[in-house]
Amino acid sequence: MKILVPLKRVADPDNANKVKPTADKVDTSGLEWKINPFDEYALESALRLTEDGKAPKKRLGEVIVVTVGPKETETTLRSALATGADRAIRVDAEDDALDGRMVAKALQSIVEAEKPDIVLMGKQAVDGDTNQVGQILAERLDYPMATFAATIQEEDGGVLVSREVDGGVCWLRLKNPCVVTVDLRIVAPESVYSLKTDKSFKHNDGVRFAALPAIMKAKKKPLDVKTLGDVAAGTELTAKYSKFEPPPQRAAGVKVADVAELVQKLATEAKVI
Amino acid sequence: MPNPLIDDRFVDFLLYEVLHAERLCELDHFSEHSRETFDMAMATSRGFARDVLYPAYKPMDEAAAHLDNGCVRVHPLMHEIFPRMVELGIVNGTRPESVGGLQLPMTIATLTGGYLMAGNLSAFGYLGLTAGAARLIESFGSDELKRTYMDRMYAGEWTGTMALTEPQAGSSLTDVKTSATPTMDGHYLIKGSKVFISGGDQDLTDNIVHLTLGRIDGAPAGIKGVSLFAIPKNRLENSKLVPNDCSTVGVFHKIGWRGLPSIALNFGEEGDCHGWLVGEPHRGIRHMFQMMNEARLMVGMNGAATASVAYHEAVDYAQNRPQGRGFTDRDPSTPQIPIIKHADVRRMLLRQKAIVEGAIALLAAAGMYFDISEHAPSEEERHRAWLLLELLTPIAKSFPAEKGFEANALAVQVHGGYGYTSEYMPESWLRDQKLNSIHEGTTGMQSMDLLGRKVVQEGGAALRALAEEITETSRRAREAGVPEELGSKLEGGMTAIGAVTMHLGELGMNGDIDGMMLHSVDYLEMFMAVVVGWQWLQMATAAKKGLEKHPEKADFYEGKLCAAQYWINTEIPRVGALAALCRSGEDSYARMQPDWF
Repeated sequence: MKILVPLKRVADPDNANKVKPTADKVDTSGLEWKINPFDEYALESALRLTEDGKAPKKRLGEVIVVTVGPKETETTLRSALATGADRAIRVDAEDDALDGRMVAKALQSIVEAEKPDIVLMGKQAVDGDTNQVGQILAERLDYPMATFAATIQEEDGGVLVSREVDGGVCWLRLKNPCVVTVDLRIVAPESVYSLKTDKSFKHNDGVRFAALPAIMKAKKKPLDVKTLGDVAAGTELTAKYSKFEPPPQRAAGVKVADVAELVQKLATEAKVI
Repeated sequence: MPNPLIDDRFVDFLLYEVLHAERLCELDHFSEHSRETFDMAMATSRGFARDVLYPAYKPMDEAAAHLDNGCVRVHPLMHEIFPRMVELGIVNGTRPESVGGLQLPMTIATLTGGYLMAGNLSAFGYLGLTAGAARLIESFGSDELKRTYMDRMYAGEWTGTMALTEPQAGSSLTDVKTSATPTMDGHYLIKGSKVFISGGDQDLTDNIVHLTLGRIDGAPAGIKGVSLFAIPKNRLENSKLVPNDCSTVGVFHKIGWRGLPSIALNFGEEGDCHGWLVGEPHRGIRHMFQMMNEARLMVGMNGAATASVAYHEAVDYAQNRPQGRGFTDRDPSTPQIPIIKHADVRRMLLRQKAIVEGAIALLAAAGMYFDISEHAPSEEERHRAWLLLELLTPIAKSFPAEKGFEANALAVQVHGGYGYTSEYMPESWLRDQKLNSIHEGTTGMQSMDLLGRKVVQEGGAALRALAEEITETSRRAREAGVPEELGSKLEGGMTAIGAVTMHLGELGMNGDIDGMMLHSVDYLEMFMAVVVGWQWLQMATAAKKGLEKHPEKADFYEGKLCAAQYWINTEIPRVGALAALCRSGEDSYARMQPDWF
């Protein structure tokens, strides 16, 4: 099985974000970066699908990680290689030259070249929260798609995916090649099974950490670099950010004397009843 | 906010703004490394410590390992954690590639280890002990011992222990009695009793290798007749493990480190305990000594990490616990303020910060001297780093243990009445911390090592090297614009140490060893204040530069400058008084007779 995992590095949500004085951008200088958590879950799921669940684990497939971004995003790729991915591709591009559609276009061209069985990715990135790339990519490739996967089971020539929806669980059976975007629960101990993994096997809860020896080995794993021009024709963006503003400061509360006053305020001031 | 265990930003500051750890990659031995590999190792350690080790800490503290039918049963969570720790390759992280290690600098491994210790001291203990025991075999064992034991220990298949202490011989290894009778088959028959053997039995792996001190029959009396042996719990016979006559007599009911059993162990009750000599006969103590710096630095980090996790808990509590109002605001209709707004609470927190970060900085610096002493190209550079490492080791072991205990007590104090309950975490860390001033050489022994050995060796060369370092640090601090008085106070402290050392050294040379050593613990105390002040001055210098470059990170850098000011202004003034005490010949406890108590 060959799985392609697109990764995005995002500003650590613990940063205190600032908007640039021009208000058209978030000021990214001096920010700490980390891999988008949902992408980390996708990588973990891909690794689980390409191993046998025995100790010591055996690799039974190939996981390729891809990112679109400037040189420093190679750190994210190296970390993914150290956790177990087999090789990496970086499409060189400045963050400003990208929107969801452009990233999907770039990924499309890579998918067409690599021909993975599954494109496994996070449901969204926690910076812009646009939740678009997986869907646009599947559409452009004309692949079947399952979003917000909570569990994935490998089947002969496809996958069975469950998605948690209002009122229950929605099961989707997909034929490969396909696009699957994952949700938080995909890294629970019993969420992902390859055909080779015994159904009684339980994974560790959460994502794995890079073993120290694997860190050195990661340096020797292949990391290809392509230009945006190599993989996506046209540079015009369809999404444009016109203005950023921080959320309004929370105003101080007031104390009400009794229930009557509360009801009155809810009705006339807050206008919620 | 979840407890970070150790502040990541601080660790990165230390590595890349204070110590410039990426320079280590210029040394041949570390040339395969880069900041990227350091950061990845750090990320693994941080994530694993926070997500896996820390959540298991409290359950493991609450239900200690126990004896069940002659076997020790460790906490069920340890059975989940142990294989994962092994899988991460932590045991031999600093060891060369030739034995399967990552060849990670000690500077880095000290800090990655710190997170694991802060997350769960006991869980880390199994690996720390195994690494230490395997390291002895790596240095002194025969190839056969390496293949049989070291390889499996580094791979985490088997664990290791240090079996030194005996009921009649605690710190006094001269009095070790365990006997070893040679046989024709190359092994020795071992007979003896050991106590306080951490990890001496467990049900995690199918074998345990005890690195044991004993005496070969007919060996000279005293320290020069002690040899080192590898004694497995089960020995290999025809590729099968058979019991090797090691019996667990009991498990000690410890007040801390409760996830790691400490046991009383008998060898050879049935006369069938086989042991294999490691290194040369009668040189066991010498072999052990070679590992001593590493072991002591590890205990130092145990102390720093235990104080760190409690400090972060206290900061978070103080930020969120509303209680009382400021002196000038007594209006009961206004909301109460978080206790961190009370100056006295900030005093307690700043003291903890100064101790915790000062200790971690000192340990990282010691790690750096370790790396240079082993791997620098020139002999001169290696030797100078070795001298400084030797000098700093007793401080790096005792300061985190002694002052860390004080910091842990302050974390309880910040929590007020709740701190005195087991509903809150700080009391457990206070219990854990106490061991660190006891094991691996008590504070008293460290003070004797410092004054009786380290400052006087090679005619005081190490002390001179330290004085040079302090002068240089002070010069750089001035250049960077750190308030002049901080550097001059520190230099004054160092001068005082030099003078009192000269005085005590003369007493020793004139044969008055008792007089020289009378106030060795006060001497150590004085030394600690200056050495940690030196670390703070280095941090203040880096902070001043950082502040210029990154004014947006002022909170971080101002915190460092404030802590440096605190330490130097409140601790260095004590140096004069301690120096006077060391010189005074004040003899109350020397004169005190046992019957007078």
